[in-house]
Amino acid sequence: MSSRDTEMEFSQLFGQLDIQNKEINLSNMIFHEDDVFRQLNELIQTTFPESSKPKIRFPLLKLPQLVLLECIENLDVLEIILFSLLSKRAKTIAKLIRWNPLDIQLGSDGKPQIQLRYSLNPGRTWITDLELSEYPYYQSSLVGPTVNHYLFMKNNGNAIEDLKQMAEHICEVFRSPIREITIVEQSLIDWIIKFQPTIPYLTIEKDVITSVGTLDCIFEDLKVTKHFVLNSIRTPKKIQCTEPISFPSISIHNSYWFTVPLILNGNNSIIRLYESKLTPKDINTILKEWQKGAKLQNLKYLEIQTTTHLYDNDCSDEIFKYLYPTSVHRNEGRPKTVSIDDEWTYTLPEVVVVHNITRSDGMTLSVFGSFRDLKRGGRELFLGMQVWHKQP
Amino acid sequence: MSSTEQGTSSAAPAEPTTAPESAAAPEVPESFYYVHGKDKVVHKVSAGALQHSALIHGMISNLGYTEEQAKANPFPFENIDGDILQMVVDWCNQHKGKPTPPEDTNLPKQKEKLFDLVLAVNYLEIKELLTYCCKQVAMMVKGKSPEEIREIWMIPTDAEDEAAEKEAKKRAGKEAAGETAAAAGDAK
Repeated sequence: MSSRDTEMEFSQLFGQLDIQNKEINLSNMIFHEDDVFRQLNELIQTTFPESSKPKIRFPLLKLPQLVLLECIENLDVLEIILFSLLSKRAKTIAKLIRWNPLDIQLGSDGKPQIQLRYSLNPGRTWITDLELSEYPYYQSSLVGPTVNHYLFMKNNGNAIEDLKQMAEHICEVFRSPIREITIVEQSLIDWIIKFQPTIPYLTIEKDVITSVGTLDCIFEDLKVTKHFVLNSIRTPKKIQCTEPISFPSISIHNSYWFTVPLILNGNNSIIRLYESKLTPKDINTILKEWQKGAKLQNLKYLEIQTTTHLYDNDCSDEIFKYLYPTSVHRNEGRPKTVSIDDEWTYTLPEVVVVHNITRSDGMTLSVFGSFRDLKRGGRELFLGMQVWHKQP
Repeated sequence: MSSTEQGTSSAAPAEPTTAPESAAAPEVPESFYYVHGKDKVVHKVSAGALQHSALIHGMISNLGYTEEQAKANPFPFENIDGDILQMVVDWCNQHKGKPTPPEDTNLPKQKEKLFDLVLAVNYLEIKELLTYCCKQVAMMVKGKSPEEIREIWMIPTDAEDEAAEKEAKKRAGKEAAGETAAAAGDAK
């Protein structure tokens, strides 16, 4: 082989290397010398798998403990995880360090992923992905101002079980609780109830809940401190819920079972009900109770999507019966946004007319909404009800 | 102090390694001290460079040596290999009186020596160099797979750890039994 052939072969290999590039520091777009060496090392290992085992060894565990810990402190989040998984001793060492607390988020977009973020550095996310892959590898991507570092790991054939184990491991090593979980499978509900019954954010994906009992377990055994999202459920029996849900912010799809007493007897500050069966008369009852002041004292925002056979004016009359709201054409200081939870501020739709109801304590409830004709007959009613205090 | 005397006599004190003289030398003449490692080669190092080492700095402060006394009694570091001590001295000279940069390009590149260097730096209490060395150690596993990390850092598996622990217990038991037997023999 001529030197030119060799050169060509290496050029091609470098080209492949570029495509297979597993970790590029995109945060600052600087290509470090170490990156070059690492890629060369990967290239050599791919080309000569047997003869290219790393030659340099470093007996890390023989270092004095303080020095050993200082070395480990220089690892990034994904490397700490990999190191702590190597053995019980490695895990014990990793646990000796007081890591900055992590925001741990389980599952997103239906994938068996764990997203990790330091609250002080939200622009950088480390993602452990347990999708079936041949071997563990790293990947980085720049999405807007956010850098995502991925670690794709091989699972043992059951990604959800591996996700649970990995989450427990990460929580233990970093001494951080899970902040958010998206439930994609029923077994995750049983697991989270046992592992961490108090959780800030809980989302249950569509059709995960297939029995009334599971829903009861969630409301009885779990405490969601920020926002609870329940997507459509598929149960053979009709759900009948009598006890109010004690979570501060709730978004419920297919909410046919969410009745007036559940709204009135709860302490929720945000209630968002989709595909509801509440009638204009029910809504009138809710508004009246709010105005009386004994109930719904914590309410900040209520959103209801329902259907009705009434026409616009008849529907409005029914909703505001004996309430005598004032119609307002201007904003008059009403906030344009609602904080659904600590992370999500919802911008309210711009409307021409708002109907205001006032309470004896000076609070105002602004009602606004829209109608849409449905093909199957009837009308869809979308109502927003915002509680706010008029500044003097 | 016998090792020190051997060090100075056997290791050509006439040709010690010195720090490069800077163009703008301070008006007050700088004092120099002498150190040697396992190979007994004596290194002449300025007090300014040695300030990086909390250990040596403490020794100097406590001993109150004159330059003649310091020359006659180099600090012995028998537990540090000569080439490692040379690296440390070089680094101290390069960083004499300078603020340490966030990324140090003057770190020794020989990774095979990194373990001994880390131990030496830790012993000599050179905080900044230790920080850089620890970063280098962490860099060794950048982008590596779990098995590569295990291999590079020589992390035993749980089974290997358990076997080693059993072996250590066995050995300790045997040693204890031997000591008991010896004590009984002495008593007789």
